[in-house]
Amino acid sequence: MIGNKSLFLGAAIIIFFTFMALAAPFLTEYEPALIDGSNLLMPPSARHLLGTDSLGRDLASRIFYGARISLSIGILAVGVATVLGVFFGSLAAFYGGILDSLLMRLVDIMLCFPTFYLILGIAAITQPSVFNIVLIIGLTSWMQPARLIRSEILSLKEREFIQAAKAIGASNMRIILRHLLPNALGPVLVNATLGIGGAIMVESGLSFLGLGVQPPIPSWGNILMESKSTLGVAWWITVFPGLAILITILGFNFLAEGLKKKIG
Amino acid sequence: MALLQIKNLNVSFLINGESLPVISGVNLNIGENETLVLAGESGSGKTITSLSITKLLPKNSVVTSGEVHFLGTDLLQLKESELCRVRGAEIAYVFQEPTSFLNPIFTIGNQLMEVIILHQGVDRDAAYSIAVELLRQTKLSSPERLMHSYPHQLSGGMNQRVFLAMSLACRPRLLIADEPTTALDVTVEAEILRLLKEFKDKLGFALLFITHNLSLARKIADRICIMYQGRIVEEAGVNDIFTAPRHPHTQKLLWAYEKIGRL
Repeated sequence: MIGNKSLFLGAAIIIFFTFMALAAPFLTEYEPALIDGSNLLMPPSARHLLGTDSLGRDLASRIFYGARISLSIGILAVGVATVLGVFFGSLAAFYGGILDSLLMRLVDIMLCFPTFYLILGIAAITQPSVFNIVLIIGLTSWMQPARLIRSEILSLKEREFIQAAKAIGASNMRIILRHLLPNALGPVLVNATLGIGGAIMVESGLSFLGLGVQPPIPSWGNILMESKSTLGVAWWITVFPGLAILITILGFNFLAEGLKKKIG
Repeated sequence: MALLQIKNLNVSFLINGESLPVISGVNLNIGENETLVLAGESGSGKTITSLSITKLLPKNSVVTSGEVHFLGTDLLQLKESELCRVRGAEIAYVFQEPTSFLNPIFTIGNQLMEVIILHQGVDRDAAYSIAVELLRQTKLSSPERLMHSYPHQLSGGMNQRVFLAMSLACRPRLLIADEPTTALDVTVEAEILRLLKEFKDKLGFALLFITHNLSLARKIADRICIMYQGRIVEEAGVNDIFTAPRHPHTQKLLWAYEKIGRL
């Protein structure tokens, strides 16, 4: 059970933030974009649980609604990356030869770029929308899952039960989808869980730099960006979204660690 | 008319760009319902011969020439997709290590049903009852419970029965058994052989049995082919080979068996 402490802790944190995101309208009476000129920069109080920002908007509400954006970008981006990685990685490993060399050189080339600057570069020339950010993060982070699944399948395909699957007349597609991939998914799942934390961090970074989710739509990153100018007088606008990012990423890291112990 | 006819089969391994012949000019005939034993020492080419019948050879090996006629078609000329319809349906295999030849993360039932659905085009419910019935015929107790078990929960002998059920699920015309009892102990070996014989009487398939164990070969064979260094050096009826071996290698093999008194 000791090995699973991190699994439970991680799962609890993620369930907590997921609940927060889903139940946002029921958790707060304020609209996240509602400007209230008579309540600017109010510290945390009974009326405004986490205080208000420089436009008098309720910070708790913005963080709850921001969780929707930040979490879904994290999960969807990793989904894109994992699907792409599994697709290219399993093709490369199963067919080998020139296809393998080409795909793996492509992976090498993509890995040459410092990922965050590559993302920054692409984000600077595209429209900043949630959809685009998901695509940008997904398209620049499929290389690791691809390598991972390739190495798993390279060793799995030499196992006897794969020969047995051929001997009962399973086609190549069937062998990949039904016999190889399910056996290789454990490490990929761990990697994906870890990746969600990373993707949330990247999204926050982009939004902080103004290249991510655009105001007035709240994301944890752009709340932080807006807090910069008032950091000296209103600590809460910086601390609470910062804590949300920190704890969520910790949660995904714990979950990944627990899964790793459980699966591997 | 033979069910399977291998004509002048040559197989080579490609090692560092060099071609190394491992099977040279093998000719083999198996009739309907016949049991042919392919015997010989390790590395003599028995397994490679059997795998080349449905082109299951490892990647670094190629059939350089030869024909494999099965029910009037040359299997070596077939496309991969056409071969997939032959494998498991017309020609089935049983291998040496039953536990490692079953997929570790799927249940027995799942794997049995896969081959049934694949070749017979029935729905899951029908496949389930066919699978349970197959397990019952292999004399495994409580087949319904076994359907939900994983390979690692079963013994080697039980897994070999499961694998046999899987191979025979689509009533193949030819079963290729590659040392199916080598990894099992003698009592289990006897049970598996008895089961194999029962199925053979009931379903009527030809059997290509590969072994290095001559006393086993004597028990089950109609005819025996002795392989040595990639060639078939002697082919004869089961009695002839044991009473009047002609090739020096066969004589040596028999002499070795007499010496340890196991024949």
